[in-house]
Amino acid sequence: MPEPVIRLHNVQKSFGRTQVLRGLNLAVEPGQIFALLGRNGAGKTTAIRLLMGLIPRDGGAISVLGHDPQQEPLAVRAAVGFLAEDQQMFGWMTVNELLAFMAPFYPHWDRDLAARYRKQFDLPPDQRIKHLSKGQNVRLGLILALAHRPELVILDDPALGLDPIMRKEFNRDLITHLQGEGTTLLYSSHLLYEVEPIADSVAILKDGAIVKQAATELLRQDVKQLVLSAEDFAEHRDWLAPLDVRRQRAEVAVTVENAPAAIDRLRAAGAIVRVIELNLDDIFAAYVIGKPDDASDPSPAPPLAISA
Amino acid sequence: MFLHIERGSSTPISRQIAEQIAALCAAGSLKAGERLPSVRQLAQELTVNQNTILRVYERLSADGLLEMRHGDGTFVSGNATRRRMEKQRRQFIDELGLVVRRGTMLGLPVDELRQLFDEALEAAASVAPPQAATSVAGD
Repeated sequence: MPEPVIRLHNVQKSFGRTQVLRGLNLAVEPGQIFALLGRNGAGKTTAIRLLMGLIPRDGGAISVLGHDPQQEPLAVRAAVGFLAEDQQMFGWMTVNELLAFMAPFYPHWDRDLAARYRKQFDLPPDQRIKHLSKGQNVRLGLILALAHRPELVILDDPALGLDPIMRKEFNRDLITHLQGEGTTLLYSSHLLYEVEPIADSVAILKDGAIVKQAATELLRQDVKQLVLSAEDFAEHRDWLAPLDVRRQRAEVAVTVENAPAAIDRLRAAGAIVRVIELNLDDIFAAYVIGKPDDASDPSPAPPLAISA
Repeated sequence: MFLHIERGSSTPISRQIAEQIAALCAAGSLKAGERLPSVRQLAQELTVNQNTILRVYERLSADGLLEMRHGDGTFVSGNATRRRMEKQRRQFIDELGLVVRRGTMLGLPVDELRQLFDEALEAAASVAPPQAATSVAGD
């Protein structure tokens, strides 16, 4: 197993009295496309800003490409391609002026690559930045993040403000330019149906901690909804440890982890089980707003590692 | 090769791609020996992670439908049609089991289920001669 490019261990962060991250653990392997998912306010942007050394943490350990971003923020920022959420750039410069201005800040800046991206992204070279559209702005930010050929790229909600066509092109760029060249990518997003085809792995962030980290494809094999009779559910509920329970008359729909094993065990016990495949949206919802049932089981299932 | 991916579907992306390639082989649109797009090309075309495409090619190769020749590309295997039939047969058996389970859940007695099955057989026989299974394009 190669050394993770990003590792967070028990990271804590509060703003005033508000605890935003409460023991965040995360590891990203080299070459992966890794998506950080969470509702607004779950702590995605805070986690990313800690990774870039833009704010200090209260506790825990962080390593980015072997550096502690709090001790060596400049080393991290020189090595990582970063796009902030709603990135501000000098509005009075033209596109080409900004690219020329940024180049000397990075020892490995590749002028030819920047020019190639500019053409590919269809950015008018002499347009002033303040006159660019939202989508053009994100693309310009992306050029700045990529043109120094970083081995790690961190993007905070890059899809925000892009229309569906641009998002598709942007996703294609990620696959062609980043995955194609073995770059590691961590990005946050709230558009799950767009994340699913792109990301190797996802982590679901809830209330400042990761409730699940898994390979995207394994997650779908692992988490499913099972429909069974109320009697069968009552008999097996203790070991089922559901993420979410919905009752409808005599039937109960339960969303569980380790679904294949659970199905086998239920069927072996004579229960009739109907299996419903869930998409990433449904799975996400089960983790972040799932109700594991009435008074009889107040504690949600602890996060489990997926075994392939 | 024309594939369509439905995002947000409850069918995983990899299964969508695998099933569509298998269907194209079964229908004869992809012929034995034909070269498929490279992993990179197809990933770019469908806007899907390259590893997903690679896994699909590997799985279909393990099923005997495709053949990955190192350094040369991925091709439709010579006995793709026969392999596909075996897979369809297994899938049919699974689906039939599912239908029967739903019948028992509805509380239909076994005799009635048997009768319904016989009626369905008769209805199918009167509509089309029983050659449907071999009508997929051969080589």
